[in-house]
Amino acid sequence: MVMFLLIEDVSQSVRGGMGMKVKEFMTTRIETIGLDKSVYDAVERMVDRRIRSLLVRSPGDERKSGVITARDVVFKVLAKGLDPNKIKVSEIASKPIISIDQNMEFDEVAKVMGESNIARAFVFDNDRIIGVVALMDVMAATLIARARGEHVI
Amino acid sequence: MLFKSLFSKGKKENAVIEDIAKHIKLLCSACGFFKTALETDDRRLMRKVMHIERAGDSIRREIISKIYDGAFLPYIRPDLCKFVEIVDSVFDLLEDTGYKYLELKMPEALKGECVHVAFLNRRICEMLLITFEAMLKGEDLREKILAIRIYEKKIDDIKFDLLRDAQKIDITNFWEGENLSRFLCYLTSISDVIEDASDYLQIVHVSIK
Repeated sequence: MVMFLLIEDVSQSVRGGMGMKVKEFMTTRIETIGLDKSVYDAVERMVDRRIRSLLVRSPGDERKSGVITARDVVFKVLAKGLDPNKIKVSEIASKPIISIDQNMEFDEVAKVMGESNIARAFVFDNDRIIGVVALMDVMAATLIARARGEHVI
Repeated sequence: MLFKSLFSKGKKENAVIEDIAKHIKLLCSACGFFKTALETDDRRLMRKVMHIERAGDSIRREIISKIYDGAFLPYIRPDLCKFVEIVDSVFDLLEDTGYKYLELKMPEALKGECVHVAFLNRRICEMLLITFEAMLKGEDLREKILAIRIYEKKIDDIKFDLLRDAQKIDITNFWEGENLSRFLCYLTSISDVIEDASDYLQIVHVSIK
């Protein structure tokens, strides 16, 4: 009887339904850097961790945080022949960051990212950043949703 | 057509198929309970998860004996048996993970990520069930197997972060460190084994086409 109940529960949860929610597939580890650090520090961190962006966390109010990406570093500093040691991340960080809710579905996130022309959106729980969703996450989540027979874009 | 004749006819074949589905569904449930037990630090529930391993074991024995009692053509039996054995090894791994959990005090800094891995383990098991059901219908497994790989990769990414964080935790004696290390290793290995199981489904799928 117990086993029957366990199996019944599973049959219902694998059946296709709504799309995947952000909290299911977001990246909860967020690499950050201080506002007053140099672009060189940011480059060092990005290369070391093999990531393409860092959250520039604003002390006090996380909604005022920015993001610095490899694109910002290359286009705004290196391509202009500027010294990354002499420029602070706050000078080139993109602001404001785009915030999304953890209960949003990935098709909604794709629309937000498309409309804002951004590669990553930050997941907020009230005023606290709890995760990040990048374009690759959106693609992966869409593939999983298709495989599960869920509604997709 | 051949697929349907292999998988839809015959009492013995149907009984095996039902048991395999039951086996995978039980694994999904076990993973779900494991996640809840971990999230709520419910040690009693964790012990129950470990008891499910025995139920899984008995289903495995039944499937294997039915297969060698004449279900399916002989050439397909070894791969089906191998698939069932791999699924059963996930029950063993889940049991080992549960044992290690009961022996350690989970560091708060790692708990969130561990619960996330447990959640993804449940999801990847569900995807294995979806893949198995798709195989029975003779559908293309490409999308399903890709989804399993995506889950596995996601867990792999979390694993490296977890190990890096674990190194920052103060360990006061050998066994504390040993238990934590093994717990993390087992927890993040479940998806690897599920991926192996999905590879065997693919082999069965291709071999009967």
